[in-house]
Amino acid sequence: MAAIKEKHGTHCEVNTMSYEENKPKAFERLNLDESSYRVYEDGKVGIFHCIGTVSDEEGYAKAQADPERARPYPFSPEAGSTRFRDLSETEFSAGELMALAEEYMKYLTDNYPQFTFSGKFTTTRQTDTFTNDLGADYSNSDASVGVGIMFKHKDSKNIMDGDFEFNMRTPDDGTKFREMADLYLGKWDTVAEIPEDVILDMQYYGFAGSLVSELDAEEMSLGNSRLSGKLGEKVFADSFTLEHDATDKESWYTRFWDGEGCVIPGDKLLLIENGVIKTGYSDKRVADKYGVPHTKTAGRNFGDLTYPGGMNVRIRRSDKTIRELLDGRLAVIPIDYTRSQLDQKGDMTIVINSSLLWDGDKVIGRLPEFKVKTNFYDIFGKDFRGVGSDDPATYHDKQMLLHVERV
Amino acid sequence: MKQQYHFPENLYSDIRIQESYSTNLGMYNGELTRDNATSNVGALVRVYDGKLWYTSSVNDLEKIQDELDALAKLATPNENIYEDPAIKLLEVNVDERLQYTGEKFLGNIARSRFLTVLNHYVDACIDPEYPDMTSWSISVGGDYEKKSFYSSKGCAVAWDYQLCSLNVYMSFGNNGEPMGGGKNFFGMMPEDLYGHEQEFLSERDRLVDYIANAVDVEPGEYTCILSPITTAMFAHESFGHKSEADFMLNDKTLRDEWVMGKKVGSELVSICDSGDMPNHGYIPYDDEGTRARETWLIKEGVLTGRLHDSNSASVLGEELTGNSRAQDYRMRPLVRMTNTFMKGGTDSFDDIIADTKDGIYVYMVSNGTGNSTFVLNPVICYRIRDGKICEPLRVRMVTGSVFQTLFDIDRVGSDFELFDTYYCGKLGQGARVSAGGPTIRVKKLQVS
Repeated sequence: MAAIKEKHGTHCEVNTMSYEENKPKAFERLNLDESSYRVYEDGKVGIFHCIGTVSDEEGYAKAQADPERARPYPFSPEAGSTRFRDLSETEFSAGELMALAEEYMKYLTDNYPQFTFSGKFTTTRQTDTFTNDLGADYSNSDASVGVGIMFKHKDSKNIMDGDFEFNMRTPDDGTKFREMADLYLGKWDTVAEIPEDVILDMQYYGFAGSLVSELDAEEMSLGNSRLSGKLGEKVFADSFTLEHDATDKESWYTRFWDGEGCVIPGDKLLLIENGVIKTGYSDKRVADKYGVPHTKTAGRNFGDLTYPGGMNVRIRRSDKTIRELLDGRLAVIPIDYTRSQLDQKGDMTIVINSSLLWDGDKVIGRLPEFKVKTNFYDIFGKDFRGVGSDDPATYHDKQMLLHVERV
Repeated sequence: MKQQYHFPENLYSDIRIQESYSTNLGMYNGELTRDNATSNVGALVRVYDGKLWYTSSVNDLEKIQDELDALAKLATPNENIYEDPAIKLLEVNVDERLQYTGEKFLGNIARSRFLTVLNHYVDACIDPEYPDMTSWSISVGGDYEKKSFYSSKGCAVAWDYQLCSLNVYMSFGNNGEPMGGGKNFFGMMPEDLYGHEQEFLSERDRLVDYIANAVDVEPGEYTCILSPITTAMFAHESFGHKSEADFMLNDKTLRDEWVMGKKVGSELVSICDSGDMPNHGYIPYDDEGTRARETWLIKEGVLTGRLHDSNSASVLGEELTGNSRAQDYRMRPLVRMTNTFMKGGTDSFDDIIADTKDGIYVYMVSNGTGNSTFVLNPVICYRIRDGKICEPLRVRMVTGSVFQTLFDIDRVGSDFELFDTYYCGKLGQGARVSAGGPTIRVKKLQVS
């Protein structure tokens, strides 16, 4: 069999304007290339991980230079077609970034002088590519403007009291930022009472990440997962559906091909539907070794063989807004908190050092420190209250309501 | 050390070049799933005009001068830049400390030597028929790093660091309540990793016993005995981060709280940071070219020092400590810890246990955080009754007030250990560090 050449690449340009203690600190720029050259031949693949740039000729030569390190790969490399996607919406210059940072920091220092702020304002433009001798020629480009603010009350003995952040493809007139700043800081000095019945309003990435790790088809097959043996079973709430979605415009820098160049038809993979476990996720090695479906979800690994993972998972939204889901109850927005790991039984404790109490529209006040507990099965089961259809200023992003128990 | 760059006039500038090499072999249930080696070279170029730092990261070292010139055009020339308090403090060291050259350099160590170590531990530590074991993994590898730093003040230093590591890990499905555990071992060369077989097997037996017998803790306030690795986590996460001075430059509340000479803990407590120890936090020169030194943060319960870069030292009127560190050439430096430890005492472990009528022994933790309330996430704990270690306990979290806990330490063991396992995170940057400490007893902590 003739050798088949394949190249994975990433080009990333980042500009960052940083503020410390209310003052401009640094303007940083980064312009980096990273590639993986892979040569498939006789059931093996030679790999060269290049950080920086080399000519393709040199990259492929280095991939073949160390036969001792050629990795077993008894699968066919992925044939493909041509597909380019550009999700970016606008160019945002370094000058515009510096002006935006100055405007936002001025708003904070003018309106909230009782706080000290550190800020990070970033533009990122990234292009990922995948090409091989079998006709695959893919690229995905995306760009974002990110805002991250850390704040500390001047009377506080904490190193910091909280932070908020959000991303945009196209910056608005500053409304989003002002809404978010006012929400987090406007009622900081008003102390509210911890409700008897605690509902957390959180972004779900951390919890979803814990769940996704249990859906690794290899770990499920070995019995290492809490979901081992539960394929087809209803484990979570009726209203809970989890999918990998490469079309998701609410995420950034998602690719529509996996680490082996495979493309899922329709770009989506349903993992859990209405609480029922539909499938674990795999790459070619795991599918072959354990006799499970090949879900075309290999994590990209520039320096070695792939692994199952690297997905863009999202929880299907409810058709109700956060306020409608709350239905008159109050929710806690955790600001500074620490989660324990899940213990053997799946139990978890969360220390909420600081948080806000709100009704889905307005903040009532800040809450004192308290602890809550939850459980792996309950988070997306009996205590799951849904992901709102809207993106309130709490996160300007998808958010989940979760009932928890005080301890 | 000869530098070849033309630094722009009326601006401070520096160049940090980082060369790294890493290799890793990993086996999962008998299959070699990881086998890689990667080199990485890049530089961070910085220019400062007294108001703003301008930085640029590049992979191509040939572009350093171009980037330096381009950044200089963005900055505003400042004739008095070398009178800037932070720039004035910067040291002008010229030195080369390259220890890992020739045969010692990781890139020149044959892959087969790592593979031999890996296969040895498979034979010595893995029994595929071990009851209830659902998977096992062993990985062996190493990381090498060389930094070269040049500044417009004339600083020119280069140094390197290398560490080989071994991880042995086992998982148990435990009927849908999976749990795993293992051990990390370190050395300069692959062959240094031999000799830990029994340590791993003992740890495996402890884990199996824990899985079979652990009971839920009754949440509440307990006297806690922290093992050396738990003390290390406490010293680093719960106190250490508060000693990083970049958080308190113009903050009156924090400056009043952490004023030098203040009693902040029991006289049994002494905590130190030093980048010049041959451990995972080794940095003989920091990323501003400052020589590393031993900084006692607390001595016998009294606040005696904090960690600085040139900016924080100049603002607070204190001396440089050599703690300006960046994750890599893509990042600008922050104030970071290096090798941070609580000093050992005189009590034996057995005496501390025997002297505890009712409490909890926190044997192993996975991670921790530290604001005013610190959090430790335990993996394995035991109940202590009448001076004896009793049944294993499932504890999800140990919390306490940093300010109070430092005063509540009433026994300090002589069993000091330094752990090279850590990577510390701060503001999106990771840094290799080590942390250490002895067994300590804390009068009361919240356990849940």
